[in-house]
Amino acid sequence: MSSSDTPTDDASGAETTPDTETASTGTPLLAVEDIHSYYGESHILEGVSLEVEEGEVVALIGRNGVGKTTTLRSILQLTPPREGRVRYRGTDLVGMGTSDVAQGGIGWIPEDRRVFSALTVAENVRIAVPKGSDVDAALAQVYETFPALEERKAAEAGALSGGQQQMLAIARGLVGENDLLLVDEPSEGLAPQIVADVAEAISAASEAATVLLVEQNLPLALDLADRFYVLDNGTVVASGDTDDVSAEDDDLRRYLTA
Amino acid sequence: MALALYPGFYTLAVNSPAGAEFVTVLPRVETMIVVLYFGLFAMSFDFISGYTGYLSFGHAVFFGTGAYTVILAANGKLPLVPTDTPFVLLLVLAGLLAVLLAVAIGSVSFRLSGVYFAMITLGFSQVIYVFVRDWDYVGSNPRDGVSVSFDTHPEAFEVGVPFVDALGLGLGKLNGDELALGVVDLSTVEVSYYLVGLVVLVCYFAMQRIIHSPFGKVMLAIRENEERARAVGYDTDRYKLVAFAVSAFFAAVAGGLFAGYSRAVSPDETFFFLVTGDALLVSIIGGFGTLAGPLFGTLFDELFREFLSKEGTGGGLLPYLQSHLPQGVLEAVIYNGMTVGEAVDTFLNGHASLFLGVLFVLFVLFVPGGLLGTVRGRLGGTASKQVAARLRSAGTNETSGGAASEDD
Repeated sequence: MSSSDTPTDDASGAETTPDTETASTGTPLLAVEDIHSYYGESHILEGVSLEVEEGEVVALIGRNGVGKTTTLRSILQLTPPREGRVRYRGTDLVGMGTSDVAQGGIGWIPEDRRVFSALTVAENVRIAVPKGSDVDAALAQVYETFPALEERKAAEAGALSGGQQQMLAIARGLVGENDLLLVDEPSEGLAPQIVADVAEAISAASEAATVLLVEQNLPLALDLADRFYVLDNGTVVASGDTDDVSAEDDDLRRYLTA
Repeated sequence: MALALYPGFYTLAVNSPAGAEFVTVLPRVETMIVVLYFGLFAMSFDFISGYTGYLSFGHAVFFGTGAYTVILAANGKLPLVPTDTPFVLLLVLAGLLAVLLAVAIGSVSFRLSGVYFAMITLGFSQVIYVFVRDWDYVGSNPRDGVSVSFDTHPEAFEVGVPFVDALGLGLGKLNGDELALGVVDLSTVEVSYYLVGLVVLVCYFAMQRIIHSPFGKVMLAIRENEERARAVGYDTDRYKLVAFAVSAFFAAVAGGLFAGYSRAVSPDETFFFLVTGDALLVSIIGGFGTLAGPLFGTLFDELFREFLSKEGTGGGLLPYLQSHLPQGVLEAVIYNGMTVGEAVDTFLNGHASLFLGVLFVLFVLFVPGGLLGTVRGRLGGTASKQVAARLRSAGTNETSGGAASEDD
């Protein structure tokens, strides 16, 4: 299922900031086309477009409340967009059920409480393994990548530290045999040294899957990602190659400070 | 184990020198039968409500479906079902009818969640309650209920292997079987206790298997965060519907046991929403989201009611005080011409529900995990993780560990 490609450098080349359009080569893994999403009557996404190529790590950055999480929820059809398309391998996801989207190979590593806290660590992993796949192999893979989880495999996930819960959430995304991982604010609320561990975990995850990463921690986002999009007021205001910008870039920082 | 030995223990205790005290405190075996079948109903309620978080407030409709299926079949009023169909098959049939009903109700109700789900299921069950109450097909006076006709179904219902008479024993208050096994003589009530207990035990194990299966884990995941469960790839609507149907099945089996044992049912004891209310109450007392908890809650509830009510011959606090307090004390005036005897009668006669209500409030406030939930919480907090984990996986042992609650 998972792609054997290693993360490639952005092949499409010359991207400049600011720019709302993205050039693409062939069919991207994920193409979000001008989506408009609402919570009740509030218009949250006002025409978001972005593309993620197979094997890439793409960061979606922006301050609180600009619609980053809503973009992920709209891709997953948890908050289905009222207009626009979400194409995954060319197929439009809009109107599909979330469980079908997930079975198609899109994994979600949500923010806040990231795990099923009443289930044990092992059960949290087990629940994400697709039917017919080798559960023991999946567990072994997880424990190899995250030894800390093996020590606590029988503990209820709610009793883990914040960092361990995040590891577990990432592990769950990995064993789901997903081709695309939507990772929401993985560093939120974690101590700096744990953020480094989480960054390593995401790096490991990106070996096996394409990653769309929502992150407010600019240095972390630029470090992990190949490309980035900046979201402001429900629309993409800038995008580009992470190699072309630095975390000290004033234009970027402007979008992250309230 | 303690539950299996209870009738013998009760007989011994009641005939011991402290018999009067035991009669006062211990539940009668008849009461224990109620504990078993109603405990099963409460467990089925907890199965859906406690494990998926969807409060099935109309659960009584499945209990009623089970009870009425058995009675109607025995009276020859269920099309295509002969009156002499083995009772165990009737229980299965009742369960299957409840499954159909649950799928019908669930496919509409699961579009909602939270309090709206509770209300719509309540609505369905009340509609059916009102319908059954006025449905004269079931009997000449549907409001008061129906009983099994001795013309069409003279024998007691038998729990056993269908079509093998030698392996079935009669169930019933009045016309069941007595059994002599060597030195042990079992009365009708005691035989019924074991038969009901056997069915409840099988159902308990079945539900426990499901809870501990991957399916059960998804139920917990739904309770915790349904969105996330969907995003992991589970079609939660289907899981909820199946869980609802499974719980309806066992609720109907409980209703069928009730009907088979008492041979008479009324809409108020089966379809009425307070029947669900009782299940909710005992689930909260026993421990919401712990499968065996509601059984302990039912035990606690029935024990308490019996202790504080004058009903029946099985003892309780009022007759005990009346016969054991010295005459002088009973006649002593405490206030405004009221004697102690009158005060005891005023406060303890028929007010069990009042006291239980107060107790319920105290439980919700101070024992939010319920009896079993709190015990588990305590052990998990102080003992090592393994003990807690073993307790969780060996919930079985706790069902039979009823002695702890019986000492209350």
